[in-house]
Amino acid sequence: MRAAQRGDMAAFEELVARHRDKIYARAYSMMRNEEEAIDLSQEAWVKGWQRLQQFQGESSFGTWMTRIVINLCLDQLRKHKRQRTESIEEMDEESGGVERQMPVVTVNPTAGLERGELRQRIDRALGQLSYEHRTVLVLHEFEELEYKEIAKVMGCSIGTVMSRLFYARRKMAALLADLKNESGK
Amino acid sequence: MMEYDDQLRLQAYLDGELPESEARRFGEQLERDPEAAALLEELRRTGECLAGFEEGVKLPETREFYWSKIQREIQRREADAAPAASAEASGLAWLRRWLLPATGVAFVALIGLLAFRGTRAASPGVVEVTQSDSGAFTYHDYSAGATLVWLSFPAEGEIGEPEDLSTLE
Repeated sequence: MRAAQRGDMAAFEELVARHRDKIYARAYSMMRNEEEAIDLSQEAWVKGWQRLQQFQGESSFGTWMTRIVINLCLDQLRKHKRQRTESIEEMDEESGGVERQMPVVTVNPTAGLERGELRQRIDRALGQLSYEHRTVLVLHEFEELEYKEIAKVMGCSIGTVMSRLFYARRKMAALLADLKNESGK
Repeated sequence: MMEYDDQLRLQAYLDGELPESEARRFGEQLERDPEAAALLEELRRTGECLAGFEEGVKLPETREFYWSKIQREIQRREADAAPAASAEASGLAWLRRWLLPATGVAFVALIGLLAFRGTRAASPGVVEVTQSDSGAFTYHDYSAGATLVWLSFPAEGEIGEPEDLSTLE
């Protein structure tokens, strides 16, 4: 790290190699698009290099880089959002939510699945969430941020974070159960 | 069916976002509410499913190819930034070359001006008295090729001490 901060690019390349999967995975979780995730993770590394002097070690380097890529993804998602009209899902959320009406999934929808198969199902289910719901879920479940931190990052109220997270979880549970039923037919 | 606010409170309980006293009270209620307990289990299980999901996501590019793109972009941006930095540096050089000497000259001129004005302020009438009220006049005899100069002392208008005046008389 010190060597990279002194401008040693070979040392920085080593840091990239060590953390590249994690940074890419976070971008992919948020963007749901391989190409965009690669581009944004690369951009995060370029910014990381440019701001390396600012890294003081309050958090781990991986966490510091993850925050950079999350911010880049949020900017990109906001651009996407401006380019499209509101989805029906978002209207549901605004009008009180359909998640409160969903029946509780009582069986474990992923029981007995291979790890790879489980990942594929989660991947497909995440892809069916709106970006607001997915982002809240990713920031809470993967980044382990508290409600108030998510609210700050996303520029919304804690109440909105809570309702989006609740919706996202319930929707995921329902989708994973549906996916299991589909595969069982 | 649970109220929506209670559902959200249940989630906050799961996430450890409720204050301790409220969490304890809520935990006691859950034991008597199977619907709430079932929902809590669903939320918990969903979280468990997601855990470890990202660990399986791998960058679909080789280390060398991925790094080469990052390195190229870093170098491109540094090259773009170099002319701007160079322009800034040349601006500073110009400043050092011209502005600083000019400032020095201006400073010296200012000091000179202030000194001159200070001198004038210290003796405002001497020069004028000397030139216009000295009482001196000349006679020039061209045929003799001589010039006579009369000086009255003390000069008219000059403030002298009374004893000096009497001595001259």
